[in-house]
Amino acid sequence: MEFDWDAEQQGFRAKLRAFIAENLPADWENLAHGPGTSEQSIFSKKFCGELAKAGLLVPHWPKRWGGSDADAWSQFILAEEMWAVGEPRGGQYMNVNWIGPTLMRFGSEEQQQRYIPPMARGETIWCQGFSEPESGSDLASLRTRAEKDGNIYRINGRKIWTSYAGHADTCFLLARTAPGRGGMSILLLPMNTPGITVREIPSLIGRGDIHEVLFEDVEVPVSALFGTEGQAWEIARSVLALERAGIPRFALAGRMLHRAVTELKKAGRFGNGAIGQAARAYAACEAARLYSCQIIDQRKRGLPPGPDGSVARFATVTAERLATEFIVEHLPEALAGGDVMLLSHHQRAIVAGISSGAAEIQLNLIATEFLRLPREPR
Amino acid sequence: MDFTLNADQATLATAIDSLAARFETVPTNYDGFTLFGRDLEQELENGEFFDIALVPELGPLSAALAVERLSRLPYTAEFALSMLFRPHLSGEWPRPIAIVENGRPGRFVATAKTILVIDGENVGITQPSPDEIEPVESIFAYPMGRLKTGVTITPLPASEAAIVRKWIRVALAAEASGLLHTAIAMTVEYLTVRHQFGRPLGTFQALQHRLAECTVLAGGVRWLALRAAWTADDGDAALAALHAQESATRVIYDVHQMHGGIGVTLEYPLHLWTYRLKALISELGGRGGQASAVAQHCFGSASSY
Ligand SMILES: Cc1cc2nc3c(=O)[nH]c(=O)nc-3n(C[C@H](O)[C@H](O)[C@H](O)COP(=O)(O)OP(=O)(O)OC[C@H]3O[C@@H](n4cnc5c(N)ncnc54)[C@H](O)[C@@H]3O)c2cc1C
Repeated sequence: MEFDWDAEQQGFRAKLRAFIAENLPADWENLAHGPGTSEQSIFSKKFCGELAKAGLLVPHWPKRWGGSDADAWSQFILAEEMWAVGEPRGGQYMNVNWIGPTLMRFGSEEQQQRYIPPMARGETIWCQGFSEPESGSDLASLRTRAEKDGNIYRINGRKIWTSYAGHADTCFLLARTAPGRGGMSILLLPMNTPGITVREIPSLIGRGDIHEVLFEDVEVPVSALFGTEGQAWEIARSVLALERAGIPRFALAGRMLHRAVTELKKAGRFGNGAIGQAARAYAACEAARLYSCQIIDQRKRGLPPGPDGSVARFATVTAERLATEFIVEHLPEALAGGDVMLLSHHQRAIVAGISSGAAEIQLNLIATEFLRLPREPR
Repeated sequence: MDFTLNADQATLATAIDSLAARFETVPTNYDGFTLFGRDLEQELENGEFFDIALVPELGPLSAALAVERLSRLPYTAEFALSMLFRPHLSGEWPRPIAIVENGRPGRFVATAKTILVIDGENVGITQPSPDEIEPVESIFAYPMGRLKTGVTITPLPASEAAIVRKWIRVALAAEASGLLHTAIAMTVEYLTVRHQFGRPLGTFQALQHRLAECTVLAGGVRWLALRAAWTADDGDAALAALHAQESATRVIYDVHQMHGGIGVTLEYPLHLWTYRLKALISELGGRGGQASAVAQHCFGSASSY
């Protein structure tokens, strides 16, 4: 056991920081605001293109698909550095972390050839169509139907909270082909297919982020089926495994804490109350960071994902919560025209315990799978 | 970054485990406030475990791992300061070591050979004679003692005082981590066997979530403590001690609450862990003290993240 970053890892981090310094425009902080806006989405394609050219977009992918076979730590460092400056990759972080690798594992030859190279060049945006108005945490109850009719699937239904849908080229869609958990399938659906309507949902997180997506008699060739019919649950589990550490939110939260503290000190307002809260929040950020490192360490050693992932996720939710509560109480002017970065962090942080699996679901998993407490009767 | 024990660390862990195995259980019919591990202390002494931080292949991280493991036991002994802090003292200072903060009673003071005396910003050190120390009855599950007034104390220079504070913080966090571990494990066990309303208590989600939150806190304390032992960074030590005191405050309440009446009896020994944690909560100025250290070392003028 040791807690040092080796020379190669330090070098990789330095390279990323240099790249970021060179490639983020002067008005980046305004751009970063609103993770799914048109400006951000257009910028993300430019930025990811440059990352790809520098070999920094998908370093942990296999060489065959444009990566350099780097290990899980590179992916972690990459994610930390990107999130800490406000995620200039926009929605493309999903391609890099799980959509690409999932395609490599379950995709047909045709699907891989069609979709992976543009991802590796940083040219394409995807969205994840899982949640529905009636199916949030209870995903297996989803209703969107995909009916096979000759050589097409006909899709009808409704997705909600879909991030980046407004600019996405393709949807990683979860739909029902038969009743029950085993009746769920995944389709790779081009977003310009007739019958799809995307409506942005105004929200506390900022412009352009979440959407409602309507499917009315949307027809796709059967070749859009990803994996086999009924394989969605298995694929979704493997997606979760790839995403088990989740977004390194503690990296941005830690930076924003420092930023707020600097402001408060300048104003002579960093007194004992503020110190206590800032310190607690920072300890929570660092605890979450170490938990995430533990998950990466497990992945690097080829261990199957366990319930530690939920522990790391909940620690991250706590860190975000304490960081935002500190800023709301001690530097409220940041959220009222004072600091666009602190505001944008706040808007992202408030959903830490909701998006990609609610905090309470993580607690259920920690109780029953990590602590092995007896399960609730159903 | 590597979270697996290396060969040396694993060998040490095995040795500590086999030593600890003889002290895992509370004696039958025990109903005291404190379970002092005189034999445990002797075994650690015989095995030269107090000096593992000085062994180059092991170092302070291995010492922190040992402290964490030993603190899971029902028996208490002064090993945390001896293992983590004593190696950093200049000069020969005999163990056991105790801390007296602002004149208050402290853990292990009545049997200490070396005492650190903390008075506000000042840190001094003394080797008390037996008539300068006396035991104090307390509810804390440590043997507590008092240093009489008028004892001659050698002040430590500021640089050494900073080292003292740092390693006390690491020791505190490592010990808290072990204590939290067992307090939570006992609660898992209890919620699994105790039935009310026709089902195990552990099936009630209201309790599941609270205990799950405690678990997340406790594991965070462990990682922060181990990292601080590795980096020997003042800021990391302050973060670890703060998170330890913060988490202990929350966990003590929750685990007692989940035990109902049995948890307040002396025959059910939960207090052997929780009332050690309670003693740790106030050390080095409590959470406020740790928070100012975090502000100083992590939010200093040259702070960078
Ligand atoms: C910003 C944002 C972006 C998102 N992006 C996407 C996306 O791109 N694609 C996508 O498919 N989805 C996305 N989501 C949806 C997200 O995955 C869901 O919001 C999440 O799964 C929770 O579902 P829900 O909102 O329906 O809440 P519900 O499931 O209705 O839960 C409401 C509350 O009840 C609690 N609860 C539910 N079940 C239990 C239980 N068994 N025990 C205890 N408590 C329970 C929850 O924890 C929560 O606190 C996004 C959400 C947000 C906020």
